Amino acid sequence: MSRRFILSGSLIIGILIILALFAPLLSPYDPNKIDVENILSPPSKAHILGTDSLGRDLLSRILYGTRVSLKVGVVAVGIALLIGVAIGALAGYCSGRIDALLMRFVDIMLCFPTFFLLLSMVAFLRPTVFNIMLIIGLTSWMGVARIVRAEVLSIKEREFIRYIKAMGAGDMRIVSKHILPNVLPSILVVGILRMGGAILTESALSFLGLGVQPPIPSWGSILMEGKSVMDIAWWMSVFPGIAILLTVLGYNLLAEGIRTLAISRS
Amino acid sequence: MRADFWRKKRFVKLRGLVRRPLIFFILSLFLLFPSFFLYAQEDNQPCYGDAIIVGSIGEPITLVPILAADSASQDIVGLVFNGLLKYDKDINLVGDLAEDWEVSEDGLVITFYLRKGVKWQDGVPFTAEDVLFTYKKLVDPHTKTPYSGDFERIKKFEVIDDYTIKITYKQPFSPALASWTMPIMPSHLLKNEEDFKHFARHPVGTGPYRFIKWETGSKIVLEAYDEYFQGRPYIDRYIYYIIPDQSTLFLELKNRNLDYISLTPLQYQRQTNTEFFKKNFRKYRYLSFGYTYIGWNLNNPKFKDKRVRQAINYAIDKEEIIKGVLLGLGRVCTGPFVPNSWAYNPAVKPAEYNPEKARQLLALAGWKKKDKEGILLKGNERFEFTLLTNQGNVSRRKCAEIIQQKLREIGIKMHIKIVEWGCLLDLIERREFEAVLLGWGLSRDPDCYDIFHSSKTGPREFNFVSYKNKEVDRLLEEGRRVFSQSKRKEIYQKVHKLIYEDQPYTFLYVPDALPIIDARFRGIEPTINGIGYNFIKWWVPKDKQRFKR
Repeated sequence: MSRRFILSGSLIIGILIILALFAPLLSPYDPNKIDVENILSPPSKAHILGTDSLGRDLLSRILYGTRVSLKVGVVAVGIALLIGVAIGALAGYCSGRIDALLMRFVDIMLCFPTFFLLLSMVAFLRPTVFNIMLIIGLTSWMGVARIVRAEVLSIKEREFIRYIKAMGAGDMRIVSKHILPNVLPSILVVGILRMGGAILTESALSFLGLGVQPPIPSWGSILMEGKSVMDIAWWMSVFPGIAILLTVLGYNLLAEGIRTLAISRS
Repeated sequence: MRADFWRKKRFVKLRGLVRRPLIFFILSLFLLFPSFFLYAQEDNQPCYGDAIIVGSIGEPITLVPILAADSASQDIVGLVFNGLLKYDKDINLVGDLAEDWEVSEDGLVITFYLRKGVKWQDGVPFTAEDVLFTYKKLVDPHTKTPYSGDFERIKKFEVIDDYTIKITYKQPFSPALASWTMPIMPSHLLKNEEDFKHFARHPVGTGPYRFIKWETGSKIVLEAYDEYFQGRPYIDRYIYYIIPDQSTLFLELKNRNLDYISLTPLQYQRQTNTEFFKKNFRKYRYLSFGYTYIGWNLNNPKFKDKRVRQAINYAIDKEEIIKGVLLGLGRVCTGPFVPNSWAYNPAVKPAEYNPEKARQLLALAGWKKKDKEGILLKGNERFEFTLLTNQGNVSRRKCAEIIQQKLREIGIKMHIKIVEWGCLLDLIERREFEAVLLGWGLSRDPDCYDIFHSSKTGPREFNFVSYKNKEVDRLLEEGRRVFSQSKRKEIYQKVHKLIYEDQPYTFLYVPDALPIIDARFRGIEPTINGIGYNFIKWWVPKDKQRFKR
């Protein structure tokens, strides 16, 4: 079962990566090419997925949107993992006061409703793709920190760590060479799961008009545009919706697969 | 066989009717008569009751009439207050709080005879004192009103008696009468107030509707004022819902939770042609008294150069915008006057779309080289700027996207930032913008002194782009001195031409107004002055009323 999950998950993600990489080659049109003669035309031979309210080709826009989404997923999660793993490992390994201090900080951060935190940060910074990734990363590391801390806590009490300690290994070495590799499967699962979440967050921000700014196509902003014309142009909401759904599904399948695999191994 | 059978039967039936024509006639009369009777009653006898639920994307900023400068504020102010004069359906000035008026031969003195028996909504009689108070507040330097200009030209304001006012102007001032459409505020409530803080959210006027409540971010409720001097309005309540998103507004209308909204062109052309809409709503379309433009902050070194603004004008294809954004429901704008104004200069032709010419002009202005990205450079500075526009207006967002693409083609990088309405006005007031995409709703008099005269660049004043042109200043002043419409026409046509050459704004389009109203409302008569002028005469037949008191 887990293998099938991993396979289908990586298949979906793999295809998306290919689509994102080769978007300029695969797109039939320039995604920002406005064509006022063809406003909201339904799917046809010329425009396989139809056009949007400025006559831009929807397929091209969704393909380019893949780039934004994947990039946001990877970078935002990268940032979240970096912070989360560092803080979690430090708290778990040092325990005592440092642990208490760091964990209270995590609690404080968790107290803010994430989305409102995001919205207020977006209001301060210019909503470029990079800033969006940064903001999503900065607001989503707390869960990672908690998980890593819990894992580190349990691992550091194990026999082999005591041996290594008794042999005189330094703390840095113990954490980086012996503890973190054992936490890796969990980090991987959390990271991949978060990617789906990050993509959803970006879509939500763009849906509210606060995410990636025009003309850069993003699934969320296409969806937002589609919402107002749902009754006459279903393709505007259905296709970007499917894209978001598939991507998040892909990540979740992959994460679930890795998780069950890790459990069965151990 | 089967077809035959039917034919036979119909034949029999027809014959039966023909044989008894009298019965048929009586029967039909009987059937038709009640409905005929009903219609007659419906069309001729307006009745009281019901509420109108209006949806709007903007929330009023203030309900103090002399401060209200945005259309949402003015919508409400217009129902709660009256001016001395108003415009009728043919855009002629007629008396409102003033019953009659006289202008002296030399144009310097206006005498207003006020209506007697008018009461403020709290029962206190309206008198000349209130007009004097409003005038004093308008010219008080502590009042940050954008409308002071018109009233600073008054030399002497005399209250002859409770119902007569004599106003003497320093020089002849032709927009004087039009300026007295300014709503009058109650002296007895405000003369001892430091500021308008309370009044701004709890206004009391003489108008057809009384203010009831304002829930911030949600709605404003008004109620018919029983003792309104022009007769109580038929519709009991006016509820103004604030929904800052056009598609949500539309969905609410579709669910019949709203009675009256402005449609977007897309909604007008493609989303409201179903049987449902034809049965339940009436759509209207007329050229609006307003235009959409990009205002350039002329203090910004990039936009100081006229050639740059002209280049941008050449680079933007207005026909494409009208097609793409308005779906054809509008016209190209060529200056500060719209085609249905008498001041409009038909000789000013819109600049054709010509990116080559744009590039040449930019090169003349020093923007010659391009960087790796293809963005124009002048020294080390890239031609990059941010265009601000308000949230919720889909047409403006699309317009911005088309412009963004067109400017990119000539090497200008434009960012779009969409901000909430109040925040946008705040940024404009503090002059913290490079360019804004906005619209002006125009008054019926062509005097645009407040928008383009160089003396009107202060905070909260309307010349926020800081446009300065001596010749335009002179003409605008002259336009205010001259009374004859034909002479004024000449003057404003010159203004029209000069401003179009200078391009302090990139004039984009004059959109069509596209209101849609629930079909149960009667008495709506579109004219060149729109539909709102006779709102108090709108009514709903008893059997169709949805809201009981």
